[in-house]
Amino acid sequence: MINFDNVFFKYNKGEDSLKGINLTINNGEVVLVCGSSGCGKSTLVRCVNGLIPHFYDGEITGTVTVNGIDVSQTTLRKISHHVGTVFQNPRSQFFNVDTTSELAFGCENFGLESDEIEKRINQIVNKHELAKLMDRSIFKLSGGEKQKIACASVAVEPVDVIILDEPSANLDYKGICELQKMIAAWKEENKTILIAEHRISYLFPYITRAILMNSGEIEKEYSVDEIRGLTEDDLHKLGLRAEENKNPVEAIPDIPKVDGSGERLILTDMKYSYKGESPVFNIPEMEIPKGEIVAIVGANGAGKSTFLRCLCGMEHSCKAKLKVGDEIWKNKKRRQSIYMVMQDVNHQLFTDSVLEEVVISQEKEDEEEALRILESLDLAEYADKHPLALSGGQKQRVAVASAVASGRDIILFDEPTSGLDYYHMIQVSGLLEKLKEAGKTVIIVTHDVELIKKACTFVVPFDSVRKNILEK
Amino acid sequence: MEYSLDRNIHSLLDPRTKLLLLFTSSVFVIGTAGEAWMKVFYWMLVFLPVLLLFLEKEWGFGLISIAIYVGSYLAQFALQHNLNAVESVLALMLFIITKILPTVILARYIVKTTKVSEFLTAMNRMHVTDKLTIPISVIFRFFPTVVEESKAINDAMRMRGIEMGAKKATEAIEYRMVPLIASCSIIGEELSAAAMTRGLDVGKKRSCIWKIRFRFPDLIVILLCLACFIWWGVGRFFI
Repeated sequence: MINFDNVFFKYNKGEDSLKGINLTINNGEVVLVCGSSGCGKSTLVRCVNGLIPHFYDGEITGTVTVNGIDVSQTTLRKISHHVGTVFQNPRSQFFNVDTTSELAFGCENFGLESDEIEKRINQIVNKHELAKLMDRSIFKLSGGEKQKIACASVAVEPVDVIILDEPSANLDYKGICELQKMIAAWKEENKTILIAEHRISYLFPYITRAILMNSGEIEKEYSVDEIRGLTEDDLHKLGLRAEENKNPVEAIPDIPKVDGSGERLILTDMKYSYKGESPVFNIPEMEIPKGEIVAIVGANGAGKSTFLRCLCGMEHSCKAKLKVGDEIWKNKKRRQSIYMVMQDVNHQLFTDSVLEEVVISQEKEDEEEALRILESLDLAEYADKHPLALSGGQKQRVAVASAVASGRDIILFDEPTSGLDYYHMIQVSGLLEKLKEAGKTVIIVTHDVELIKKACTFVVPFDSVRKNILEK
Repeated sequence: MEYSLDRNIHSLLDPRTKLLLLFTSSVFVIGTAGEAWMKVFYWMLVFLPVLLLFLEKEWGFGLISIAIYVGSYLAQFALQHNLNAVESVLALMLFIITKILPTVILARYIVKTTKVSEFLTAMNRMHVTDKLTIPISVIFRFFPTVVEESKAINDAMRMRGIEMGAKKATEAIEYRMVPLIASCSIIGEELSAAAMTRGLDVGKKRSCIWKIRFRFPDLIVILLCLACFIWWGVGRFFI
């Protein structure tokens, strides 16, 4: 049982906080904590796994108890015997390098007998069909596979409360299906589950109730039927994502084939394979409408990132050509003419001020022009700030500002909305439309159906063999 | 097919043996203790790390290492007399490479073949405090992280045309280091939060699923290391 008794919390950094939370969650319940970014849902679950107050500093009043233990008076190690957590970023939640050790890690820390750990691992691996992922390097797994290992690691531990903090943020459609199976299995074992999310519909079959948070307070509590009854508009007003978890290729209804009018970029010979292995993808020809916002859907895992690298001309062994008007762009030309806004924008912000970031991208340095670009993206007031001190959305806009400054006409986005709530997704969508108005061709690789519906004018299925263009 | 955990998987050497070898290599290869007296052992310690790499089937890295080592070693002979300033610097660099490379290769071998959990347990058996062991163990996890992050940053730089040589070298290094440090520190913080929710803590007894013990290859390497120190001692104190 989890109990919040009049809990207030304020981060030392002064970020979002909790204001008077009273909540009781009984054993075996599956509770969804939802709300837009910054509503305090992650803060709330951190009070249960003990990261607040033991890891994140701040002022806490009131008491949180888990199975009768007062969280703030107990060490993280003792709390970890009761509570297991799956985090949102699959990149940073593993302590080990190999998957098998990671599964054993929690139990080893508890000092369980190694025979007992072996039994538990065998049981979980067989139950969730993970044999293929064992004895592998974490660094060779896709995001979905990593999240599966993260869930399995928690499942191996003898905990009875499981916390999931935006577990679907980096997952595609298939990854979410796997996550659903895991939650279903835990529910069957009568574990108490607490999930912080803004993508919610995939959880409906499992939850026993939902709690809506707003500005650090519990605004409303919904039964399953009530939350299922909310319309798309209702959910969007709350900042929540409304799309159901569907294969994006199928989820976009009634897509007629394009009639062939309009200018096209034609990508040919797009294939890639690792030495001596069968191709990761092989696309003889793909047409991309020029000056539109085009979504490429259906790519995932290793195939997706390699596709993006090839498209940007980074992979020498890929001999793809892009026909733009009368020109044929090979790797080098594409590297100079296509700008990619990466999924993790931290990788592409190099300098110590936003203005300089834009200036170094210009062919000829021109500060006035750079300021104009910043102005158009609502970044003028941050010109002197350090890019890494900005919020995620602002960083993304800085990357877009450099893209505009570089004068390149094709801008590629890798999952620009992963982990974003509805408001932020709408902001990104507005940004894409601005680029289109400026005459850029925007290509997005995504599985975010809501973004596609909102912003994209064309959809190109990422298909290994066939050539086809579908228009929305 | 039913999965069954094989707890006997282990690398050729025990983590403790690897550390002893690393220590010995530092003393006699980087530190060149004993100098000419230690010649035979010196060469054994220079080439053992590459042999270990080959046993792990790392042919490419092993061969490149040998090429660099032999190249630097031979080039030193060409740069012995009447050197100008540039040549002196070059000669010094080559000298440093021949001294450090074997131990760097050994360190890479250790990071690559040692499981974090094995390392924690082996150190614990030597009664080394967790306060030291846990931070060191993060290195195993951080090497590949740094490589992965560097690759992504490198891509970003190539795309923006900011490559080495394109602008001033100092800027190129700064542009690489800023995002690398930023993303590694974010990963570091999230990593420690995750590890703590999984019960990692100092001063507590932990178990280990991997069977850690000295085997026959350990005996050979340990004897080699001991022989190094004994032979050195003989030379130092009795001759």
